[in-house]
Amino acid sequence: MSGPLFVGVDVGSSATKCVVLRGDGALAGHHAVPSGFDYGESVATALDRALESAEASRDDVAYCVSTGYGRRKVEIADRQVTEITCHARGAREWYPQVRNIIDVGGQDTKVIRINEKGQMTDYRMNAKCAAGTGTFLESIAVKLGMSLTDIDALAMDSKADAVVNSYCTVFAGTEVIERIKEGQAKEDISMGLFRSIASRVSEMIPAPDGAVGVTGGVVAHCRAMVRALEEVLKTDILLPPMPQHAGAYGAALLAMESSKTSKGAEGVC
Amino acid sequence: MSKAAKRVEIKAQKRLKSLVRDYFLNLDAAADDSDRKVAWCTSVGPCELLVAFGFEVYFPENHGALLGARKVSHEYIPRAVGEGYCAESCSYMTSDIGSSLAGYSPLTEAFGIAGPPKPDVLAYSTNQCREVQDWWSYFGRKHDAPVVGVCPPAHLGAITPDHVKFVRGELVRIIERIESHFGMKLDHAKLEEAVALSSKASSLWRDVLDTARARPSPMTFSDGLIHMSPVILMRGSQIAIDYYEDLLAELKQRRDDGVAAVPDERFRLYWDGMPVWPKLRELSDKFFDLRAVIAASTYCNSWAFDEYDGGDPLDWMAKTSIEIFINRDEGFKQSFLTEMFERFDIDGAVFHNARTCPNNTNSRFGMPQRLRETLDKPVVVFDGDLSDVRFFSTAQTMTNIEAFIEQLEERKR
Repeated sequence: MSGPLFVGVDVGSSATKCVVLRGDGALAGHHAVPSGFDYGESVATALDRALESAEASRDDVAYCVSTGYGRRKVEIADRQVTEITCHARGAREWYPQVRNIIDVGGQDTKVIRINEKGQMTDYRMNAKCAAGTGTFLESIAVKLGMSLTDIDALAMDSKADAVVNSYCTVFAGTEVIERIKEGQAKEDISMGLFRSIASRVSEMIPAPDGAVGVTGGVVAHCRAMVRALEEVLKTDILLPPMPQHAGAYGAALLAMESSKTSKGAEGVC
Repeated sequence: MSKAAKRVEIKAQKRLKSLVRDYFLNLDAAADDSDRKVAWCTSVGPCELLVAFGFEVYFPENHGALLGARKVSHEYIPRAVGEGYCAESCSYMTSDIGSSLAGYSPLTEAFGIAGPPKPDVLAYSTNQCREVQDWWSYFGRKHDAPVVGVCPPAHLGAITPDHVKFVRGELVRIIERIESHFGMKLDHAKLEEAVALSSKASSLWRDVLDTARARPSPMTFSDGLIHMSPVILMRGSQIAIDYYEDLLAELKQRRDDGVAAVPDERFRLYWDGMPVWPKLRELSDKFFDLRAVIAASTYCNSWAFDEYDGGDPLDWMAKTSIEIFINRDEGFKQSFLTEMFERFDIDGAVFHNARTCPNNTNSRFGMPQRLRETLDKPVVVFDGDLSDVRFFSTAQTMTNIEAFIEQLEERKR
């Protein structure tokens, strides 16, 4: 492997993602694994497999930025940066015109606003609650004995504009049972779940000003989430090529930029 | 943050510990002495009246904060919920009632006393919230003691003479009730003295907070939370004045010597809303590590009253009790915050959305957004609570704060 590599590791509540970039910013490798109980192990697996796909080893890593809730568990990291900044950086690289980024993650959802210079001007996080997050979907999917992919496939076949009104995950579960009892089509109930999340997201971005992009694991696996957001926000949504890896990609880009200044670059430490 | 950076402790803190200990031991002794009487009072309640009557004054909200700071509130709140007090009502109230039911008090561990002193009378003002009325009533029933209170007009813009007159009338009714119940007569000279001492302590407290205008600031929000005890617990006494004169001298010296509460201060922040007592140290360490000083807060300013001009002491008590920030309308609050941002050269503001304290939360009606737009200052809102840790997510809040600092860094570039 020639040349130094720049690595971003995003340790999220559901998955640990790693992106490896070459010195010119080209993607050299990436990998995602479930975060599980042992963040150290998931970081090692994601990192080593991403490096493997780049035909490189840890010795080739020039600089590493970690992000996500488990960012402090990444021993190889030279710097830690929040996922809010990293998702903004990653999305902006894919879509320079983007002004609003919606990150629908497993544990929380964030809306980040950036200006024409790429600076973060505002951000909002959901309240301490599963509503509006991937956990909401996962919880209902478990209740129905289905996978997220199954629910997404059903939702994409829905023709009705059904909505699950409850924000609360527990209440939504009850509401789904009521809808089933009423004989509502499972396709429509499934789409209603995505609209419930989109409705919650819309509280954080009531009137999108400029292009809207989405990142995170939920939109990577569920196209119905993108459809629901487009419906509720009444705007086209930019879906990047690797939405689940946006945070890790942003972290890798920041690793490149940090290495250009110094190893001890000022920042959140 | 450099690992070598260390806090330079404020020396007065050692004396403060001894003052607070003496205060509680005195209260405990008074409760056991049939010749002395104890009054419970809200933190911005009619304290001076009680002092003038000769009561030893105890502040239950302080007990609520102690339960929070000891990280035990959530263990006792369920006891109060079982008695019919909603888990989402004031966690000071629910934890205080719950701990009483369980027979626990942090005062035992801290000062070796059984717990809060038994009240002979309980006095409140709803100028900060209406919950205190029911909280006091609970303990009034429990201890078979009279409960007296002021329910002043709330959410005020400009304060008018009618407002003051109304509250003064309420205070007069409290005096009449205490005189009648205990067969005592208010000594007006003592009331004037208590008001003058209270006002003097309050002015010194304001001067103490003002030292944080310096760059770098010699004190931060967490220091304010520690050193505000005398202006609440010992209001109306010379002890508070003596303490703040010494503290002020020390802080001015720190300021002149360039001693920073947060070494290499990069950002100056404003804190709005209640403290998160169970997470005080973690949050303080986080801001310290990020080299951000919380230079000013709404909370600590709650006891910085206008000076007493020697007129009618009841007028002063009435006016100061209703002109506090929490009792004002959104327009006043926005003007106050704007002035504070300018006065303390604030880079951004942190708003605490306290789940069980809507009255002391200012992020529920668009205030952060309005301030961001009018002042072009970044703001962040995080969800939490003053005492109940079950409403607080450490990981989410810390990420929120770090991202906020990253936002400030980007603006600086």
